[in-house]
Amino acid sequence: MTGRLTFDAIVVGAGPAGVAAALTMARGGLNVIIIERGRFAGAKNLFGGVFYTHALADVLPDYWERKPPFERPVTEQGYWMLSPDSAIRVMHKSERYLKEPADAYTVLRARFDPWFAEQAVAAGALLITRTTVTRLLKDERGRVIGVDTDRPEGQVYAPIVIIAEGVNNLLTQQAGLIASDLPPKYVALAVKEYINLPAKELQTRFGLSGPREGVAIDVFGDVTLGLPGTGFIYTDQSGISIGVGMLLDEFVTHRLRPYEVLERFKRHPVVRPYLEGGEVREYGAHLIPEMGYDRMPKLAGDGVMVAGDAAGMVDALHREGTNLAITAGKMAGETALAAHQAGDFSAAFLSQYRRKLEGTFVLQDMKQYRRMTDFLESSPQFMGTYVNLLNEAALRYFTAHGIPKRTMEHEILKMVRERRSFTGVAWDMLKLMRAMRG
Amino acid sequence: MNHRKNGQTAPVAEVELPHVNIDDLIVCLKYYVDEENAHIRIKDQAICAACNPKPCLAFCPAHVFETDRHGRMMVSYQACVECGSCRIACPFRNVDWRLPRGGHGVAYKYG
Repeated sequence: MTGRLTFDAIVVGAGPAGVAAALTMARGGLNVIIIERGRFAGAKNLFGGVFYTHALADVLPDYWERKPPFERPVTEQGYWMLSPDSAIRVMHKSERYLKEPADAYTVLRARFDPWFAEQAVAAGALLITRTTVTRLLKDERGRVIGVDTDRPEGQVYAPIVIIAEGVNNLLTQQAGLIASDLPPKYVALAVKEYINLPAKELQTRFGLSGPREGVAIDVFGDVTLGLPGTGFIYTDQSGISIGVGMLLDEFVTHRLRPYEVLERFKRHPVVRPYLEGGEVREYGAHLIPEMGYDRMPKLAGDGVMVAGDAAGMVDALHREGTNLAITAGKMAGETALAAHQAGDFSAAFLSQYRRKLEGTFVLQDMKQYRRMTDFLESSPQFMGTYVNLLNEAALRYFTAHGIPKRTMEHEILKMVRERRSFTGVAWDMLKLMRAMRG
Repeated sequence: MNHRKNGQTAPVAEVELPHVNIDDLIVCLKYYVDEENAHIRIKDQAICAACNPKPCLAFCPAHVFETDRHGRMMVSYQACVECGSCRIACPFRNVDWRLPRGGHGVAYKYG
């Protein structure tokens, strides 16, 4: 190869953040390369599976005409609170969820991500797969000027590199945007199975009237053995995505095998009937960065910006991530366009990326829930004691024993007191409010 | 290990988890194994030998880590799903973890 392989911008990673950035820059007239280590965009990607469309509509207003490979619109959603043998189920179903394009869809990433990447390619971006970026290239002043890859003579140069490498933030560290690896107390490990089930059967089990309806359930309590974390059950077109996620630290401390925790969830008496006869087609695992607002990396340096999981852009409470990633990718892309116009790729100029994000839900939500991970970690009673208590209270409430209702009410109150003092409950509620209000 | 704040003990220790043969799950995954390069290596076997209780044997979602008869840590990197847990959760930072070469490793069909 003679001469340097040079682009206006390099994007590392063809996930939602990277593709949104590339799409934005390509449409703005930049010569963009996306470098992806998987055999195709999405090959390495896995999530629970609810995808929110608002951010996609922002970067691709006509996305609906381009037939995105969604699984099912989410037309019913809510929470299951499991005790070892029972569940309280709080579900919200509404006719208003039936209008398409819907606000949220279930998605399988190995199907969705390639489609999204195709849109960036259609806009003029060059997508190179099967290529791992091994390090950032810097000039003598430490400014990022390109990347090295595992291809022979694989250096690629550009005045701007957008890092969308995902949760394993090796390049973000090399860029000096974050000082160290994420500690296991701020990273969740989630495992998931995709279980095949004929669409008709699936619809009958979940009470869906057809393929344009779907359910998203987040599960608390016994699913994580009462530890901080959640489970999920989402309906796909002809299958179920089921999984469980907990802080990595909890797996370490309690010596839990993630796939055994998931298997236990699948065998729960309330869950099992939904899965009966289904065939496990795929198993997988992924980390979720839950370090929150206060431990995010710097978002920009000289010649470099970071977006998506690599930047910790996740709202775990609302199971949001891909929408934060897409919005951030778009903002990084717009910032790169402005930088090219100004001919200024300094950290000072690129800092407008963060200012843009501060004006959006991305950093505002992250700021509001900045205490959430610490709160759940320090208040295990929410996932343990309270969920069990609710189930037992419900059992008492719904059972006719031939005892006066007044006595039953006293019994329920006594049950609460035995588990946690009223001052304890009041204190917990205060902490919960603080964590929610930010 | 089960001690928590507020003087509360999580009931985890009493829970019996169902045994799962991880091979039954791994078998449905598609891999493009890089036979020449292991992307995960143990930096120092002596550190693993002295490590107690070897949390990687449990938390790794693909059960990549296992000790052999002589107590040596064996790494079945071929089964790795590249989540990165061992990279950050090994208590002695004794895992040399890299991304597999481009195109290698796991390739999800559903994700």
